[in-house]
Parts: sequence; structure tokens; C-alpha cells
Amino acid sequence: MLAIETRELTKGYGSRRGVDQVTLSVGAGEIFGFLGPNGAGKSTTIRLLLGFLKASSGKAEIFGQDCWTDTATIKHDVGYVAGDVRLYPWLTARRAFQIVSEIRGQNIQPNGLQLAERFQLEPDLPVRKMSRGNRQKVALVLALAHRPRLVILDEPTSGLDPLMQDTLADCLRELADDGHTVFFSSHTLNEVESLCDRVAVVKGGRIVADEILATMKSRAPRAVTITFAAEEIAASVEVPEFATLLRRLGNDIQLQLTGSAADLTRWASALPITDISIGQPNLETLFREFYETTVQLVEQQP
Amino acid sequence: MKGLLRKIYLEIHWPVLYFSLGLATIMWLLTALLPKVLGDVHRVFDKIPFVKPLITALLGMDPGDEFSAEMMQAFLWVHPTVLSLTWAQALMYCTRMPAAEIDRGSVDFLLGLPVSRWKLYVSEAIGCVLSGAVILLVGLTGHLMAASSLQPDMRPGWFALFGILSNLMAMYLAVCGLTFLISANSDRRGRAIGIMFAILLASFLLNFLAQFWDPAKAVSFLSIMEYYRPAVVIKSGSFPWQDVAVLAVITVVTWTTGGVIFKMRSICTV
Repeated sequence: MLAIETRELTKGYGSRRGVDQVTLSVGAGEIFGFLGPNGAGKSTTIRLLLGFLKASSGKAEIFGQDCWTDTATIKHDVGYVAGDVRLYPWLTARRAFQIVSEIRGQNIQPNGLQLAERFQLEPDLPVRKMSRGNRQKVALVLALAHRPRLVILDEPTSGLDPLMQDTLADCLRELADDGHTVFFSSHTLNEVESLCDRVAVVKGGRIVADEILATMKSRAPRAVTITFAAEEIAASVEVPEFATLLRRLGNDIQLQLTGSAADLTRWASALPITDISIGQPNLETLFREFYETTVQLVEQQP
Repeated sequence: MKGLLRKIYLEIHWPVLYFSLGLATIMWLLTALLPKVLGDVHRVFDKIPFVKPLITALLGMDPGDEFSAEMMQAFLWVHPTVLSLTWAQALMYCTRMPAAEIDRGSVDFLLGLPVSRWKLYVSEAIGCVLSGAVILLVGLTGHLMAASSLQPDMRPGWFALFGILSNLMAMYLAVCGLTFLISANSDRRGRAIGIMFAILLASFLLNFLAQFWDPAKAVSFLSIMEYYRPAVVIKSGSFPWQDVAVLAVITVVTWTTGGVIFKMRSICTV
């Protein structure tokens, strides 16, 4: 059974489209990254999944149940952290464990305290005395403590220091290893790259890409530096169609490789080169291209 | 439900304690001052002419020259401070959810839990009834403490007290129902409180104007205060079934409508 499935999910705010015809499917045990710039529709999609917003049209399901009509039932199996965590000033982690345990009908206290220790969170500190990062930790601990089948996180690392980001990544990997599903939105490529199995890119409320990360990486451009035997050769060499010239610098030329490394080495072997270095696939460039292409397409529409 | 009620308790126990002690103190003071006020009442009416119409409006009937000790008992329960405290509690409590939760953004945490919006709404209503009952009972205690030192003819009858308190509780719940309705439609707590304050002020003014202005009298049934008349309860000696029933209908209709709206609406905190 799919953990999340949406079909042509649309939510409009008056004449403005929050999300437009979003179709997604996330399988059990996946770590799914939902990427996009600010205002792209990531949070709106998540709020539709959680039944906070009613869709204008289309369908959203979690574990085969409707996200609007069965929202309370669904949430027994879901842990959620909002993009901008706001909690009650009087709340402490310990009190929250008690309240949430009673609401969920499941004692989350032992697991919650373990997670609090892992995230270096003081269980008796009230929210009004907490920094933003600590409030984020409370929300994360509460979302993970009942070991939900599906975790939905809206930009979960905002406010967390790098060490805590690593702790969170470890927790999410452990959950996924146990067959739990993780769906998280982000605009930080590093965390998506290090965590996700699959990525969807949303822009202007529409999905512009939905791929396995490895496939996406294989298409991502790489930075290439080629050193020639003489400066004149570097200055005059013609760049093949599977690469874009970035700059010429003395004996070096710097390229962005859009084709395969095999094509590049074949092309370079016929030239008097002294060195060649090929960088890792650059997802950031690919995503920038996604966004810019989409913007251009939108601008070209009548 | 237990977890939700615990959350409500943790959130409101201090405000409820303050409101309760405030009302008890006011009731104690007003009751203790009753003999003195009663002695001076006609002199005050002669000196400040608008006081009598004001009291008439608050009592919901013209007592004529019968400003007896018994009638002054009724005045205690319609004193502006008593009404203000009761209404303030209703407004503060009932705008907490959903208006304040959405305003603050904490509704995301609540709705992220496996609890239906109806259950949330019902738990808030339970808290509302209980907190109102606590405040009124503590207020009553303040009144009874001071009343014990009054002359026997100035002490309230138990049946009359029960009728007045039931009527006050019914009015409190009607204000709560209406506030829940406004709150369910609002994303801003300040706006919800402002609208309810305007409604209550209009209700108060309408009830006041209806005492001397016929056009206002014709529409005075729209004022919620039209259905809270302790003086009538004391004078007639009967339980105010009709007023309580009207207030109960207002409560049920407004509260239920608010619940349906809250259940159906999209909630946006960003």
C-alpha cells in the first residue's frame, strides 16, 4: 500500500493557485524529499495531506484513507512537524508527552524521554524559555516518539545546529530502515542529497520533476577542468555540444558537463591535455535549471 | 478527551482562578455595602437623575419606588462589574480555540494529533461550562460570606438565588456560544474579541434604550440581556424558565453552527 498518494490535487486561494494538479505517490519505507523555493506550494501540499486545508479539487490519501474525511484516523499513524513551530508558552516536553500520550492512547513518555536525551532537550524547560532550535526539537521529538508509520516534516532542520541536523538525519534513516516512510520538504539541497531516495521538485504549485535521486544525479551537470599542454590550445579549443564553456584561464578551461563522462574522455583523448578533473554531479545547478526553465515556460505562456 | 481536557486545564487554571477571586471579591464588597446603598438610594436618584434609568435597564424592569432590600439583591447580579467579569471570561475563554490557536499557529500542533475537530470543539465546550460554573460558584461564595452578616430580611432566598444563578449561567453560555461562532470564523483572536465586544455593547445599549424609546423596545428581543432579569425572578418568586429556554436555544444554535464551520473550514496559519 502507498503511504501517500495524491491525484491532481489542487488548492486555490481566490484567483491564486496554491497547488495545481499535484500528483504524487510515496511508497512505504521511502525517504521522499519535497523540494522547492519559498512559496512554491510545499507547505500547502503538506497542509492538504494533513487535512488542515480542504482541496479545491483532486484527491489526497494517506495509507488509502482520505486526507480530509479520515484525517483524525490517519494521524494515529502520522507524526508531523510544522514549518514554523509554534507551541504553547507553558508547555514543557514532559507535559507534552503526558498530553500527547493521553490523546494518542499510547504511552510515548519512555521513547519521548530517550529522544529528548538524544536531541539534548531539557524535558522540564517551558517553551517560553526555549530558543527556536529547542522548540523545533520539542516538535520533532513529539512527532517521532510514537514511532509513526509516516513522518511528515515541513523544513525540519530550520533552526537546528549542524550536529542536531545529523541526529535528525540518523533518526529518519533508522525509521526508514524499519519500514517507516519519511516525507519532508526542504529548500536545502544538501540534506535532500544525503537523505532521500526520491525527490519531487515543486515550482509555482506544480510538480516539475519527480525522480529517483540516483537518476537525477546522473543527469546533473558536473564541473570539469581540463589542463592543456599550451595556453594557445586552451584558448582556441572548440567545446563539444555535451558541455558548456564556463571560462578559459591560462592553460585551463573550465566546463560544465551535461553529457556523459565517456563522451568527454573520448573527446579529450584526442587533444594534447596534461590533466583532467571531473567533479561530483551538481544537483544545485540542475535545480536552478529546473526553476529557471519553469519560469521561462510560464513567461512564454500567452 | 482526557488529554485535551488536561491541556485546557493547564492553559486556563490561572485565569479562571483570577476571575473567580475577582468575582468573589466584587460580590463580597457589593453585598457588604448593600445596607449603606439602600439607605442612600433615593438621595442618589434625586441627585443623579440618570442612575435610576440605568439601574432600571440593568434590572430589566422598572421597580418604581420599590427599591427594597430584596430588589437590591437583584442589582448585585446585574452590576456592570459582575457582568463585565462574566463576559470577559466568556470572551477570553471562547476565543482561545480556534481563533487564538490559528493566530498563534499552535493549531498545527493540535490538528497534527489524532483528534477530530469536533472532539476538540466539544472538549473546549466542556471546559467552558466547567470554568463558568467554577467562577459563578466562587462568586456566589463571596456573596454568601458577606450576606451572613446582613439583617435576615436582606439575605437572599435560596430559590431566588438558584433562579438568578441559573439565568446568569444561561446568559454566560449564550455569550459563549456566540463567541465560539465568531471564533470559528476568525483567524485573529483580537478581531473575534472586538466583534463580540461590539455585540455585547450593542446588546447592553439596546436594553438600556428600550426602557424609554419605543423603537428600541420593539427590537429589544434581539438583546441578550432581555433574557437575564434577576429582578423579575425575585419579584415573581418563580424560576425563569422562559428566559433560560431562549438563552439555551441561542447557545445550542450558535455553538453548533460554530462547530460546523470549524469542521468544514480550511485552516491556514501561514
